[in-house]
Amino acid sequence: MSFWEHILAFNEDSPLLFTQFYFWAFFALVYALFALIMSARPLGAGRQKLHMRNVYLLFVSWFFYYKTSGLFLLILAFVTLSDWLIAGRIKSQIIHHKPQIAKVLLALSVTIDLGLLAYFKYAYFFTNMINDLFGTGFRVFDIFAYVGNGFAQAGRFSVDTIILPVGISFYIFQVISYTADVFRGRIQPVKNILDFGFYVSFFPQLVAGPIVRAEEFIPQLYKPFRLSRRLFGIAVFWIINGLAKKIIMSDYLAVNLIDRVFDNPLLFSGFENLFALFAYSLQVYADFSGYTDIAIGVAMLMGFYLPMNFNSPYKSQSPQEFWRRWHMSLGRWLKTYLYIPLGGNRKIGFGTYFWWTLIAIVSAALTGWWWILIPFAVFIGIVAIVNSAPFRERLGVGRLKLLYSNLNSFITQVLGGLWHGASWNFIIWGGINGIGMIVEKIWREMNWHVRFASITLLTGGLWATDYFWHLPVWRLFAVWASVIWIGAFIRYVYWLCTHNKAITNHQLQITNGLAKAWAILQTFTFITFTRLFFRSSSNLDPATANKVAWETAKNMVNQIGGAWSNAIIPDFLWEYRWVVAMFITGMVVHWVPTNWKRRYRLAFSAMPLWLMVLTVCVAIIVIYQFVTADMQPFIYFQF
Amino acid sequence: MRPYKVLWFIACVMACLAALCVVLPGRVAWGNEELRWPTLAEVFETQESGLKSPETFVSLDTIAPVDTVDIQDTVATKFPKPVIPKLTVDSTTDSRAYLSAFYASLAESGSRVVRVLHYGDSQIEEDRMTMEIREQLQRRYGGKGVGLMPLAQTIRALTVDQELRMNGRHVSPQQGPRRYLVYGLKGVQRADGLYGAMGQMAVMNDSLVRGSEDITAICTPKDGRPRYTKWKVFADTSVHYTFAGDTVHLTGRGNVYGLSQQSETGVIVDNIPMRGCLGLVFTKMNEAQLRRFYSEQNVKLIIMQFGGNAIPSNENPGTIVGIVKGLREQVQFIKRCAPEASILFVGPSDMMRQTEGEWETYPLVPYMDKLLRKMAIEEEIAYFSLFRWMGGVGSMKHWQEIGLAGADGVHFYRGGARKAGNAVAEWILEGVE
Repeated sequence: MSFWEHILAFNEDSPLLFTQFYFWAFFALVYALFALIMSARPLGAGRQKLHMRNVYLLFVSWFFYYKTSGLFLLILAFVTLSDWLIAGRIKSQIIHHKPQIAKVLLALSVTIDLGLLAYFKYAYFFTNMINDLFGTGFRVFDIFAYVGNGFAQAGRFSVDTIILPVGISFYIFQVISYTADVFRGRIQPVKNILDFGFYVSFFPQLVAGPIVRAEEFIPQLYKPFRLSRRLFGIAVFWIINGLAKKIIMSDYLAVNLIDRVFDNPLLFSGFENLFALFAYSLQVYADFSGYTDIAIGVAMLMGFYLPMNFNSPYKSQSPQEFWRRWHMSLGRWLKTYLYIPLGGNRKIGFGTYFWWTLIAIVSAALTGWWWILIPFAVFIGIVAIVNSAPFRERLGVGRLKLLYSNLNSFITQVLGGLWHGASWNFIIWGGINGIGMIVEKIWREMNWHVRFASITLLTGGLWATDYFWHLPVWRLFAVWASVIWIGAFIRYVYWLCTHNKAITNHQLQITNGLAKAWAILQTFTFITFTRLFFRSSSNLDPATANKVAWETAKNMVNQIGGAWSNAIIPDFLWEYRWVVAMFITGMVVHWVPTNWKRRYRLAFSAMPLWLMVLTVCVAIIVIYQFVTADMQPFIYFQF
Repeated sequence: MRPYKVLWFIACVMACLAALCVVLPGRVAWGNEELRWPTLAEVFETQESGLKSPETFVSLDTIAPVDTVDIQDTVATKFPKPVIPKLTVDSTTDSRAYLSAFYASLAESGSRVVRVLHYGDSQIEEDRMTMEIREQLQRRYGGKGVGLMPLAQTIRALTVDQELRMNGRHVSPQQGPRRYLVYGLKGVQRADGLYGAMGQMAVMNDSLVRGSEDITAICTPKDGRPRYTKWKVFADTSVHYTFAGDTVHLTGRGNVYGLSQQSETGVIVDNIPMRGCLGLVFTKMNEAQLRRFYSEQNVKLIIMQFGGNAIPSNENPGTIVGIVKGLREQVQFIKRCAPEASILFVGPSDMMRQTEGEWETYPLVPYMDKLLRKMAIEEEIAYFSLFRWMGGVGSMKHWQEIGLAGADGVHFYRGGARKAGNAVAEWILEGVE
C-alpha cells in the first residue's frame, strides 16, 4: 500500500484510533484548517462562519468514518437524510394540526432506523433463533453486499456475512432522539441538512459515544466558538487523562493478564480467575471512559461540549446508582425514550405487558425450558390483577410506584443489554443487572429484622445446596452470600444496639462511612460478577458468541468456586506484581474523592502554557512506555 | 482562547515530541531500565511490525515436510538477546523411521489393543490435540473410547464430561478423593513413585478425615460424540468397581490410577496432560510399575510433548542445554520401561512475548527445537517440530491473527490445537505408507 493510499484509503486493519499517532496528526491538520476558518475575516463573525465551520467538520467527520468503516459511510448518510426529511415533515404536520400523521411519520422513522440496526446487528441473532425454534437452516444473506457487487466487480463484497458498521448503535440512537424530540416539540427541526449531518456524524463521539441528544447538541451548532483559558486546560487534561486510562490502565491489564485468563480460564487457579475478573471490571471502565474523556476533550477544543458519560461508577452504593453513573448518555437515552414511554414509575400499560411476554418467550427459547412460560404467565397475570382498580387502592401509591418502576426498569435493563450485542449473554447480563436493581430496592424497603432473616435463610440455603449438590457455582454463591451475611449481621447488631438511642454526630459519621464503603464494595463485586457475561464480541455469529461467552463464564465460575488453590496466591502476587500494583493504583485513583480530582484538574488547567506543553510531553512519553505491540481497539467499538 | 492559540499549543507539543524523535536514538538508558521513544522513521512507517507477512508462512492446510522445510530460525530482534551457540542439525533424516515398531504393531490392532500414550504440558490439556490423533488412528485402525482419564478430572476435557459423586453426594474434582501428582506444586507428590502411567493417582479411603468413600464417576461424551460403554479401571485389587453405561462405581480402599473407556481391540490413545511440567518427571515414577503397565497394555507408541515450559523463564542457552539433557534421560528411562514401544517427541511450538511493546519469538525457541531434534536423532526416536511446522519465527503471531492461538503468545486455542493435533496425526500416518 502506498503512503497516500495508507493515509487516505479505508483499511480495516488500521482504523483511526485515538491511541494512534495517525489520529493526532489528522487532528492537528483538521484543527489548522478549523483555526483558519474561525479566524478568517472575510467570513465575518455571524452564521456564515458557523455554517462554514459545520460543513467543514461534517466532511472531516465523514472522512473519519470512512477511514474507520469504509463504505458503511453510505448507511450513515442514508439515516442522516432519512431522519432529516421525516423530522421536517413531522414538524409541518404538527403545525397543520395533524398529530396522527406526525405519529405515523415518527413510527416510520423509528422503523427505518431500528430496521437498519436490526439488519446489521441482529440478523444473525434472529436467524439463529428461528433456526433453533423451527429446526430450519436459514443463513444470513447480505443484501447490501449483493447490491454493491452489482455496482462494483462481482464478488468484491461477501454476501455470506453481515458486518456490523462501527458506531451504528450510537448514531442510530442519536437520530432517533432527534426525530422524537422534534415530534415532542422539544426542538425545532434543523433547516440545513449539512448542519444536521454534522450533529449525527461529529467525529469525536461518532463511533463510541457519548450518545448526544439532539436537544443538547443542536443549539451548539449556532453558537459562536467559545473556549475559555480554563476550559482549554480542562480539555487538554481530559485528553491526556483518557490516553493514560486507555493505554496505561486498560491495555496493560488486558495484555498482561486479563486476555490470557479469559482466553483459557482453566489454565489459571480460582484466585487468578477472580483477580482477572475484577481487573476486567477496571479495564472496561478505563477503556470506555478513556475513550469518552478523549472525545470530550477533542470536542471541547473545537468549542463543542459533550455530556458527561461516567461519574466514577465504582463509587456507587447500589446497582441503581451504578447505572446513573455508568454510560450515563445511554442511561439517559433509555430513560427518556424507553423507560418513561413505558410508564416509568407512574403506570404500566400495553408496552410493559408486551415486553414481559416477549422476555418470557425469549427466556423459554434460550433455555429450551418451555415450562417456564407457566410461571411467567402466572406472574404477568398477578401483575394484571394487582394493577386492577380495586387492588391498586389497597396497595397504596408507594408500593405501586415500586412495582411499576421495577417492571419497567427490568425491561429497560434487558433491552439495554441487547443494545450492547445480539446474543444471549448480553441479554443475561442485562437481566442480571435488572434483577440486582430490583433486589436492592426491595432490600432497602425491608426493615432490619426481615433483612437479616432473609439473608440468613438465603445463606443457609446456599450452603445446604452446596452440601447436597456440590457445584462450584453454589460454593461461589454461598461464599458471596456469607460475606453479605457478615456485613448484614454487624449492621443488624449495631441497629439493635442503637435504634431509639441517641448517637453522636461523630459516631454517625463513622458508621455511615463504614456502611458506605461496604455498600460500594458489594456493588463493585456485583457489577464485576455481571461482567462474566459481558466479555464477548457482539459482532460474532451469536451461536459462536454464546458458546464462547458461556464456556468462558462457566469455566471461570468452576475455577473460582472449585479450584481456588491458596498455595499459588503468593506466587501469583509476586509474578504479576506490576499488574497487581496497576490494579490497586487504578482503584485507588478511581476512589479518590471527586473534589480532589476537580482540584488537580483545575491546577493543571491553571498552569502557564509553556509548563502545560512540557507536562503534556512528559505525560505522553510516560504513556508511550506502556504502548503494547498489538493495536488494542476500544471495547465499545464493537457495540 | 482563540483557535489559533490552541493550534499553537498543539504545534508546540508536536514539535517537542518530534524533536525527541530526532534527538533520542530509539531508547535511552534510565537507571536499570530503558526509556523508549520512536524514531521519526518508526512514526511514519506503515508496517506495524517487522514480522514476516502472513503469506510467507507455511500453509496450514497442508502438512509441511517438517524435517526439511526451509524456515527462518534465528530471531531478528533489536532487543538484547542471549548469545546462542551455533548448532548444526541433521535435517535430512526422516525420523519417522524410528516409528517402525509402532507401524508394525498396527497390524495386530484387529485382534488386540494397541495403546498410544500422549504425555505433554498444558498445550495438550482438555484432550485438544490428542483427540485429533485418536480420531485419525481409530478411523483407520479401529478402536473406541477416549482412553485413560483420572478418577477426579480436575481439568475438563473436550471429549468427555465427568461428574463425580462421593457417598451419593455431588462433589467437585477438588473435593473428591485425595490425589497425588508426580508434577505440579510441592506437597502433592509421594515418595514411592507409584503414580501409575498417568503420573497421577487418587486414593480411596486414605484418611480418617474422609471416612468411607463410595465413588461414582459419570462420564458422558461431549458434543454428540458416540457413547462407548466399556470400561477398565486401573487400581489396587482392594478397590472394587462396576460399570453401567457412562457410570463407573468404585468401592473399597486403595489406589486408583485411572479409569479407561476403551474397546477390546483397535487403537486406544490416552491424553495425559501435565500442566506446567518440563517433562523431567518420568524418572520419579516407579519403573517397575510403569514397565508392567506398558507391557500389559501393549503400549506401542509414547508421544512426549514437552519443552515449552522451559522457554519463558530462561534466557540462558546453557540452561536449555541442561534441560534437553534432562529430557534425554527421560527418553532413556521411558525406553527402559517400554522397550518395545516407539517414542515420538513433539517439540515446543513457536512462542512469543511482548518485549517493550513489540512481539518477538523467544530467542531460545529455535535453539531448543534444534537441540531436541538432535537429541531425538541421537536417541533414535522420532521428532516432530511444531515450531517448524507452524512456520518458524513469528508464526505464533500469525496464528493469533487468524484466531488459532491465544493472547499469551504461547497457547493454542482449541482450533489451533486441533490443527496441530491433526498435523501430528497425519505426519505419523504418512509414515505408514
